[in-house]
Amino acid sequence: MEKSDQKVGKVFLIFAGICILALPLIVFSAFSSEPKGTETSIAESQDMDFDDSGKAIFVNYDQVSKDYLEGTSTARTLDEYYSLRQYPGSPPLIPHKVEEPDLARVECLTCHLQGGWTEELKKNTPVTPHPEQEACRQCHITATEANLFVETGWMSVAPPRLGRTALPGAPLPIPHDIQMRGNCIACHVGPGTVATIRVEHPSRGNCRQCHVPETNVGLFKRKAATN
Amino acid sequence: MDITRRDFIKSAAMQSAVASAAVLFPGISFGAWKTVGSGGIEWKKTPCRFCGTGCGLLVGVSGERAVAVKGDPNCTVNKGLCCVKGYHSVQILYGNDRITKALVRRNGKMVETPLNEALDLVASKMQETIKSHGKDAVAMYGSGQWSITDGYVSSKLFKGCIGTNNLEANARLCMASAVTGFLTSFGMDEPMGSYDDLDHADVFITWGNNMAEMHPVLFSRMLANRKAKNHVKIIDFATRTTRTSQASDKSILFKPQTDLAVANAICYEIIRNDWVNWDFVNKHVSFHKGKTNIGYGTQDHFKFKDKAETVDFEAYKAFLEDYTPEKVEKLSGVPAKDIKYLAALYGDPDQKIVSYWCMGMNQHTRGTWINNLVYNCHLLVGKISQPGNGPFSLTGQPSACGTVREVGTLTHKLPKGVVMKEGARKLAAKIWDVPVENIDPKPTYHTVEMFRALDRGDIRFMWIQVTNPMVTMPNLNRYRDGAEKDDRFIVVSEIYPTPTSDVADVILPAALWIEREGFFGNSERRTQHNEQIVPMPGDCMSNTWQIIEVARRMGFEKQFPWSEETYIEDCWNEYTQFHDNPKHRMAPYNDLKAKSGIVWPYVNGIETKWRYNAKYDPAAEGDSFDFYGKPDRRAWIWLRPYEPPAESPDSEYPFWLNTGRILEHWHTGSMTRRVPVLHRAVPEAYVEINPDDADHLGITNGSKVKVSSRRGSVTMKASINGRGRPPRGMVFVPFFDESYLINEATLDAFCPISKQPDYKKCAVKLERV
Repeated sequence: MEKSDQKVGKVFLIFAGICILALPLIVFSAFSSEPKGTETSIAESQDMDFDDSGKAIFVNYDQVSKDYLEGTSTARTLDEYYSLRQYPGSPPLIPHKVEEPDLARVECLTCHLQGGWTEELKKNTPVTPHPEQEACRQCHITATEANLFVETGWMSVAPPRLGRTALPGAPLPIPHDIQMRGNCIACHVGPGTVATIRVEHPSRGNCRQCHVPETNVGLFKRKAATN
Repeated sequence: MDITRRDFIKSAAMQSAVASAAVLFPGISFGAWKTVGSGGIEWKKTPCRFCGTGCGLLVGVSGERAVAVKGDPNCTVNKGLCCVKGYHSVQILYGNDRITKALVRRNGKMVETPLNEALDLVASKMQETIKSHGKDAVAMYGSGQWSITDGYVSSKLFKGCIGTNNLEANARLCMASAVTGFLTSFGMDEPMGSYDDLDHADVFITWGNNMAEMHPVLFSRMLANRKAKNHVKIIDFATRTTRTSQASDKSILFKPQTDLAVANAICYEIIRNDWVNWDFVNKHVSFHKGKTNIGYGTQDHFKFKDKAETVDFEAYKAFLEDYTPEKVEKLSGVPAKDIKYLAALYGDPDQKIVSYWCMGMNQHTRGTWINNLVYNCHLLVGKISQPGNGPFSLTGQPSACGTVREVGTLTHKLPKGVVMKEGARKLAAKIWDVPVENIDPKPTYHTVEMFRALDRGDIRFMWIQVTNPMVTMPNLNRYRDGAEKDDRFIVVSEIYPTPTSDVADVILPAALWIEREGFFGNSERRTQHNEQIVPMPGDCMSNTWQIIEVARRMGFEKQFPWSEETYIEDCWNEYTQFHDNPKHRMAPYNDLKAKSGIVWPYVNGIETKWRYNAKYDPAAEGDSFDFYGKPDRRAWIWLRPYEPPAESPDSEYPFWLNTGRILEHWHTGSMTRRVPVLHRAVPEAYVEINPDDADHLGITNGSKVKVSSRRGSVTMKASINGRGRPPRGMVFVPFFDESYLINEATLDAFCPISKQPDYKKCAVKLERV
């Protein structure tokens, strides 16, 4: 098991290097809303950064190697995943030591842009779904202390249950919010992901043709005619 | 010393060391939370509770509890992104020591008391004090954490009904120099530009402003702009190396206080190279000088009044002769070539430039002056009031602008205008339905002097809401002793026990921001409404309603007639009458309810993103710029010299003490320390020391160091090469930790014009313990 992961890791290191060089071309800014000029043709000025950055899935799918897509690892569990969070969807803690001065995005993304095996931690690295956000440590911080200042009565909702399909064998709905987490490939594909939420058919790139968001609005109900 | 971005990344990469969290804390699961109900989440909009950025949040509610946060994609401030404090902000509701009952001191002990009884006591004690010691013996002290309506009813009660100008706010310690800077240069408070400038500028200069930690969401917008455009530059101009320096393209360090000289040197260079925008200067700028050798206010009853004298450009040019880059290099430690580089950035007509600052320039014994001087840099080249061009003063608290500056909860202010002006008093008296004689035309005490008056006994009763002066006052020992004197009566409205509630005679349980309806106003003139999202615990009550309850008990039912169901809307509708003109019109209640904030002036349904420019501002006349705040309709360039700080290092106290904040904790930490991830990230304060100084003194990382000034001392752990790195001869201490009260060491010297103290400069010595 570990051997195959290491192999993936090596392939991946080379790949990560290429990707870092290509980074400025492939990442999108959530804030780049400025029109590029008034005379540009429609074809040139189209902004693809819409639908919860839906394009990121296609870009990432294209970038990721077949080896990576099929990579598996049993190292991370869902419990570990939630142990770093305060509620479903909160920015996770950094579970390893990081040195000051702040290494800024370049350092975090060396590992967390494309994942792969890390020799220091003996683990496959999880991948960020929003590499376009540069100031990683504005939201992700470490823990240096185990005790609290004052105990808390904090409660939140239970994480979504797995495996909820409408029909036997039907595709699962997306049970979580996709704001900042719309890049399915990042978290559901590859050796660094949590095994229980890894997709079995990673070679299919258009995730959202089958998986649609689940909301709590209930069933469709037609409004009564007004007259 | 300057560090390029590349050097930093290189050195940072070499230092990278990684270990597993499991090794750090074996067996501890940090995130396991108790679950609430199985119902879905409903998302409700609110501004964030913390800094002045004013991010829009969506708070997830399940049952009656706030359970999650995400960024509000419809709010143009943050466009769906928050910082770590924002994402965990709702956890501040649930600390186990939340104050939910009124407490009254009886025989030295705080005793749980029915809320009505406590409110009766507050009202009767205030009336008694007024009777025995006069109306100027009672005072109210709030902050920019007040909702707009909290500040509005305090002003109405104290200035309109009781008739005292003893109303101040923590913003005096935070924003006062920004206000006086705006008033002296433009005649009207608050920035001309908006956050849209972050997307338009080519060059950003952070003046003593660690935006990467203090305004992280705005900083990440700046980074996104730089990434999208390749040529965008960020220049950090500061006294200490920080995360902002690390992310910048160039970091320039200057010696404390010498920003005054460098700003003048930039203007000298702009003129010497003839980069002046003459068309703009001739039409829209006038030149003025004020008094010099203006003092530091460290004595009780200190008085100062500036006097403006109009001069011409030639006089200004002659004044700048003292500030050649070469002369200023000697004083400031900034190489002349770097001063020339900064001047070239301001001077290049093809580069749009924004200057950002916050406490570094405001907490300064010449705070008003340095604000004026940075405006000069923009005015000389006409880079102001246009998309991507302008000076921008950031705020530290969520409603420093909305409540303190716009409502005017300062001793000299009314919601519109100042108490000294008859017209302003008449307007207030009319809207408030009080006799105009009620409003005292003389300001009383600014914050530092107010706490001195409490110590002296001129003030006997003080009601403190939403702030923590027993952590934040400079030269703290004196002011705590004053508050603890026997015949002083202190009322504190609070959510958690703090060093301030420790000195209280009555503690009133306060509702937190989303437990009540309210409004904040952020740095870019954006007013933001939130509805009540979750119920208040126990006897908690909004600050607005607490004040109304006490006002009614004092016989002012007529002025506070509103019902508990609609009082926030009623207050808003009354308050906005003060600003019903195109220079300041506020959005109507229903528009604010519907939108994720609206920028004023809001005229005919359109926000004004750039004031004083007829293209964007309906109040501006003509077809270009119109600085209508000043009688001459021009922006004022000021001749402000360099003057030394109130206290500088010497042989006995050889280090500068600089204080401030960090990313994880906000203000005095009374909220953020109750958020598990934030406390665990930075559980205690520390003293940052330059590695060479530490080496010289034999201090190692984490060892105990005693930091002492002439006023007090604190013993705490040393941090070497931690979050920030002070230059040799300076130490930095964050002030969030009530166990290490660094303000016992700071000096209560202030800017004589703004009366804002300088928390960034005093002299200390270090001893190994």
